[in-house]
Amino acid sequence: MRLNSHRMVYISLLLALIFQLLPWSGVWVQIKPDFVLLVLLYWMLRAPHLCNIGTAWCAGLMIDLVNGDLFGQNALAYALTAFIAVIYQKRLILFTVLQQSGYVFLLLFINQLTLLMLKLFMDSKQFSFLYFVSCLSSILLWHLVVNARWGIANRSPDQQ
Amino acid sequence: MDQHQTPSFFIRGPSAFTRFFFFSMLSLLLMASDSRFNYLVGVRQTLMVVLQPLQVVADSPFVLSRNIQSYFANQQSLQKEVKKLNERLLIQGAQLQALESLKLENQNLRDLGNAAKASKQAAHIAEIMYMGRDPFTHRVVINVGTNQNVTLGQAAIDASGLVGQVTRVFPYSSEVTLLTDQELSIPIQVERNGLRAIAFGSGKSGMVDIPYLPANVDIKEGDRLVTSGIDGVYPAGLAVATVESIKSNPSSPFAKITAKPLAGIQNHRLILLIDMPAKNVVMEEIKHTLAADKAQQKKSMSTTEKKP
Repeated sequence: MRLNSHRMVYISLLLALIFQLLPWSGVWVQIKPDFVLLVLLYWMLRAPHLCNIGTAWCAGLMIDLVNGDLFGQNALAYALTAFIAVIYQKRLILFTVLQQSGYVFLLLFINQLTLLMLKLFMDSKQFSFLYFVSCLSSILLWHLVVNARWGIANRSPDQQ
Repeated sequence: MDQHQTPSFFIRGPSAFTRFFFFSMLSLLLMASDSRFNYLVGVRQTLMVVLQPLQVVADSPFVLSRNIQSYFANQQSLQKEVKKLNERLLIQGAQLQALESLKLENQNLRDLGNAAKASKQAAHIAEIMYMGRDPFTHRVVINVGTNQNVTLGQAAIDASGLVGQVTRVFPYSSEVTLLTDQELSIPIQVERNGLRAIAFGSGKSGMVDIPYLPANVDIKEGDRLVTSGIDGVYPAGLAVATVESIKSNPSSPFAKITAKPLAGIQNHRLILLIDMPAKNVVMEEIKHTLAADKAQQKKSMSTTEKKP
């Protein structure tokens, strides 16, 4: 099976969603990385013709559903993050591994910030910096797994 | 295998900005319709059924490991547990006997006062599948839904007290909002003196707030708060929390009271869902308590008048 195919994208997204659904509890709820967003970013930066803003939006809707949040909240945050990821995607090939990680961290942060603003607008009245802990754990996971194993810059030959 | 597809220098289709604009408009529309109207309840339920297999898959390793653990539990620990459970059974049996006689007595008193009969609640056990990802909201998803006769608004309790309320139901799962969530409010009563108030979830740090009580109110640290039952949602007498701190601020007429929930909200897997009492029973009970309160007030007033 080719690595860059629609089937791979959807299988990896499904796996990420299952990871998201594991019965996390206690302090792990806050540390839990955003698996779905990481997988989305990976595919968007590697193969934007397979996974784009629409895919991110649909995945965000699924997250809204399983979290019991307002419909469209995560979807909007994911769509915005995807938009920023996609418009600078072409330049990423010039970045070093560390710079790529920095860029991904920025995207994760933007996602959390958007989500936080939407929540504060809608219903919530509380704010805590713990909210951004998941950005750190996500980027750690990205750096350890994605950069070490399947870097986005070393493209397979069927990719430009 | 087709390795030589045409290279995609440019993303085909609409531009990134067009896509983003379209999808953000769509999500704004969804958010507005979900928060203001109830159009999307059906959609949510259908999609939840589609996602159900995923949840089962995600839960399966943990179910399996628990099954294996219970299969290989050794004899000694089992015997220990049986002994412990037997002891507890004995103690609770004794308490139950007292309760039976009290129930009978209470029923007799109610008959005398022509009050409604106390309702009997049906209950079912549910297991927590997972918690929401968001540290702001305190919600858990449990493994029973409308197919197991779960209804909206049921109270969720565990062995030591109230856990929360069912706020969304799906065919095979439902969502319980914990009592520490800031959207949940519970009518409570101080067990010591019968003072009624409303407790609100504080949203953070797993505590419950009791606002809108005057600074000189008769509440002490360590007071037990129980549900008052006058809302028709929670049956009366469920333990809710113990008062942890009372602060009064000179600039505010109200005391700042925080209480700690009695139920182990963060660390249990099994909870019990209980039906709300029937509406007419509740109304009767409210009338009864109000009448009793009035009588007591009159009594105390007359005694104070007599004193001087």
